[in-house]
Amino acid sequence: MECLADLKKFLQNVFLFKEPEEKEAFILEETRQEKEELIEETRQEKEELRSTDSKKGGIISSFFSPKGKKEDESDELEEVSKDINKNLEYIKKTYNYPDNGDLIIREFKVVAKDKNLDAFIVLFDGMVDSNIVDSHILKPLMLLSNVEVKGKEKDLAQYINNHLISHSQVKMTKKMNDVIEEVNFGGAGLFIDEIDCAFACDVKGWVQRQVDKPITEIVIRGPQEAFTEGLRINTALVRKTLKDENLVVENFKVGRRSKTPCALMYIKDIANESLVEEARRRLNNINVDFIFDSGELEQLLEDSTFLPQPQMLSTERPDRTANMIAQGRLAILMHGSPFALIMPITNSDLLHSPEDAYVRFPYSNLFRIVRFVAVILSLLLPGLYVAITNFHHEMIPTDLLIAIESSREAVPFPSVMEILIMEFAFELIREAGIRIPGPIGPTLGIIGALILGQAAVAANIVSPILIIIVAVTGIGSFAVPNFAHAFSFRILRFVYIILAALTGFLGITLGIFVHGIILVSSKSFGVPFMAPLGPRTSDGVTDKLLRSPIWKQENRPDYLNVQKQRKQPKISREWAEREKKKR
Amino acid sequence: MESKIVFGKVETTSLLIIVMTTQLFISFPRFVAEKAGTAGWILIVYLTVLSLFLFTIISKMYKNFQGKDIIDIGEYVGGNIGRILIGLIIIIDYMFIAPGVLREFSDRVKIITLDKTPIGFVMLFFLIGMITAAFYGIEPITRFSAIIVPIVAAAFILIIIGIIPNFNLTNLFPLMGSGVNNIFIKGIPNVSIFSGISILFILPPFLNSYDCFRKTGFYSILLSGFFLTVGALIYTLSIPYPASTEFTMPMYTLARTIDWGRFFTRIESIFVFVWAASAFIYLSIFLFFIVYVFKKTFRLEYYTPLILPVSVLVFAFALIPESMMRVFQLESQIFRAYAWIVTFGMPIILLMAALLIKKKKGAVPNEKNS
Repeated sequence: MECLADLKKFLQNVFLFKEPEEKEAFILEETRQEKEELIEETRQEKEELRSTDSKKGGIISSFFSPKGKKEDESDELEEVSKDINKNLEYIKKTYNYPDNGDLIIREFKVVAKDKNLDAFIVLFDGMVDSNIVDSHILKPLMLLSNVEVKGKEKDLAQYINNHLISHSQVKMTKKMNDVIEEVNFGGAGLFIDEIDCAFACDVKGWVQRQVDKPITEIVIRGPQEAFTEGLRINTALVRKTLKDENLVVENFKVGRRSKTPCALMYIKDIANESLVEEARRRLNNINVDFIFDSGELEQLLEDSTFLPQPQMLSTERPDRTANMIAQGRLAILMHGSPFALIMPITNSDLLHSPEDAYVRFPYSNLFRIVRFVAVILSLLLPGLYVAITNFHHEMIPTDLLIAIESSREAVPFPSVMEILIMEFAFELIREAGIRIPGPIGPTLGIIGALILGQAAVAANIVSPILIIIVAVTGIGSFAVPNFAHAFSFRILRFVYIILAALTGFLGITLGIFVHGIILVSSKSFGVPFMAPLGPRTSDGVTDKLLRSPIWKQENRPDYLNVQKQRKQPKISREWAEREKKKR
Repeated sequence: MESKIVFGKVETTSLLIIVMTTQLFISFPRFVAEKAGTAGWILIVYLTVLSLFLFTIISKMYKNFQGKDIIDIGEYVGGNIGRILIGLIIIIDYMFIAPGVLREFSDRVKIITLDKTPIGFVMLFFLIGMITAAFYGIEPITRFSAIIVPIVAAAFILIIIGIIPNFNLTNLFPLMGSGVNNIFIKGIPNVSIFSGISILFILPPFLNSYDCFRKTGFYSILLSGFFLTVGALIYTLSIPYPASTEFTMPMYTLARTIDWGRFFTRIESIFVFVWAASAFIYLSIFLFFIVYVFKKTFRLEYYTPLILPVSVLVFAFALIPESMMRVFQLESQIFRAYAWIVTFGMPIILLMAALLIKKKKGAVPNEKNS
């Protein structure tokens, strides 16, 4: 019955008019006044949301509320107690101790201001650096606290913080939640009797992958470092590339239960303020329990879920991230993911390789032309083959036509069926090749493709020319630098094949038209996806399809509406100017 | 949301160029050959100058009504009745154009590639593109046209280069073709070939400034006139009069004569891409403006519910003519003879009346467009 109701609703939405939602999509504003208006609107929205959240349901709604303990019911110890036993009890209950095998609670005594105080430290085994815990927290507290310290603090907590804990990242807090969050993320929580605050110590020391070469974005010329799963390592990789004091790294926690740390990176005096505000708004308004990868975060942040093309660039290269941030874009890094998300982007950014900036002008443009042709082939070649063989025979020279027809003579299927069979087989081989472990994977993929193709031709299931078509199409899709972008072509290719089978070039043109209209109307964080081609922006963009020489790239992309448009003067090679003057 | 959509000069000019030059791919060259013989290109030059003159008059008067479109001016002149009257005239005009062009393009595609396909199926393909684009709105259509126009222009230049070997200068003679009277006097109503400029009179709310309006109109007429002139010229140079009045698809016929070596002999099908893309944009624009003008005329809140019913009407009207020749006859004898009244006559009369009223009343009230 639910299915029927859903179907009815779907049909109603398609054939009858559905009033559009009043929510207005984000538009990247240009003038300061527009920005301020937008910021003010979003702040008002936030306040409204907070006020509606605080409203509780009435008596009737309470009858329908789920029975049982609610998450926010006050069984929690919100603030640290002076009684250490209460704190210990609470920690044990929260962490299901002793069921939780990797939780360690070490009780000990501290001597401070002639008092022998009970204390305990709580941490997770395997997540902390035990050397730091032993040497800089336990040792000073247990042993060195006996040494007379000339401290004038009257407050015991301040005295301990200033003189007895020799670690750089310690936060004194009265809130239990702060300590729990720190312990959950590889920290240690220190509780001392008669003190109504706890010490949340950042002593992360889990084993993680070291900075390695990029896997998906391999370049010949350029840095060979890639992001890892550690957030601070990644932000450090970007910061050491940019070395700009205006580089801001804003911290966020995404996921109500996982509280996964994320960082929003931008350059304060370059990036558009309303863009930063919009990114903050989206990050602060994600309501999920757990989040595991930047791929999930991308799906929660993007403008359109159903657009085949990605609206954010995911990269594992710190240099590329730094380059994008320097242009005025934003980067989001997430703990546990070696991919950064860059926004906003345009269609042309997805066709750029990280290497384009590092190789010389003639080579980078040649590669771009090759890539552009690869995109056209990947998307349209099977459709063109179907259209030409079915509707436009006159285009093929007679000799070639005879060769094609003679090779297809014994094939029982129409050309569209051949193409669909072979494309599907190619997708199967590609998908299977990813799952096979070790060095066998790519080899098996190649052999499978060769044998499958050859066997299919020998069995007269497909014609030889089709193998070439499918192979060139596959190679074309591999030439696309962004793998998410390449996925979109894999899907759309089938649409173009079907359209070509229906009406030949007219069908392909319909596909290009509708595809173009959808792309042109799409946005990535307020920036039109097809900028600077549609809408046309000013001539400040020198890196559209082709790349200008580096000394001619004087302005940042106009469509980003950055605070500082100019990035280099007209004469950036001052040595050339001096040479001219000498002559 | 429409008040926030703003187009630049390049985008608007591209849109108008597509609207005014798409006819080059259907029956326009044959039409000018019938009207002026070997002097078809002279006729177009004359009509371009005439259109520029008429547009200059209109734009001068428009200066007093910046940001207002022709429907707003109709309301200013005649109140609700004026608004509805002007709106209905525009709707009827566009409902004549859109089905006609839809039918013509569908017939031509059917002749070229899909000879066994029912005409309704071919029209359905165009309709799907039109409906999709109309749902997305004028902004994507305009932006897409800005991307497509250079490609269409490049394809057109390729055709010209390809048929240069067929040029024969003697085909231009006699120079005055069917006579001075036919070109300069009887040819005046043929200024209807620039009837696409009527779109610009609905676009002011989407334009930045009056300067954008004026320059866009001027450049679009000039560039369209240039392309139409070149199209007529190359047609006359390649195919002598009166044979040039026989072909139903002049540009396709020219493309078929392209012969580059042994390999590139029958490549006219490639130009189907360009022609079809141009047709999609043209038809989408007109479908959008029919529903938009309807919405504005009757002060409706949304135009999207109108898209499907109007598309059905366009489809139905496109099926009324018995054949492609009947469509061509309707176009040349009725539309091209009288469309200038709606395109140039109505705005001039309306603006003159509005100026007179303005002088009596004072400044135009600064209303927001609905």
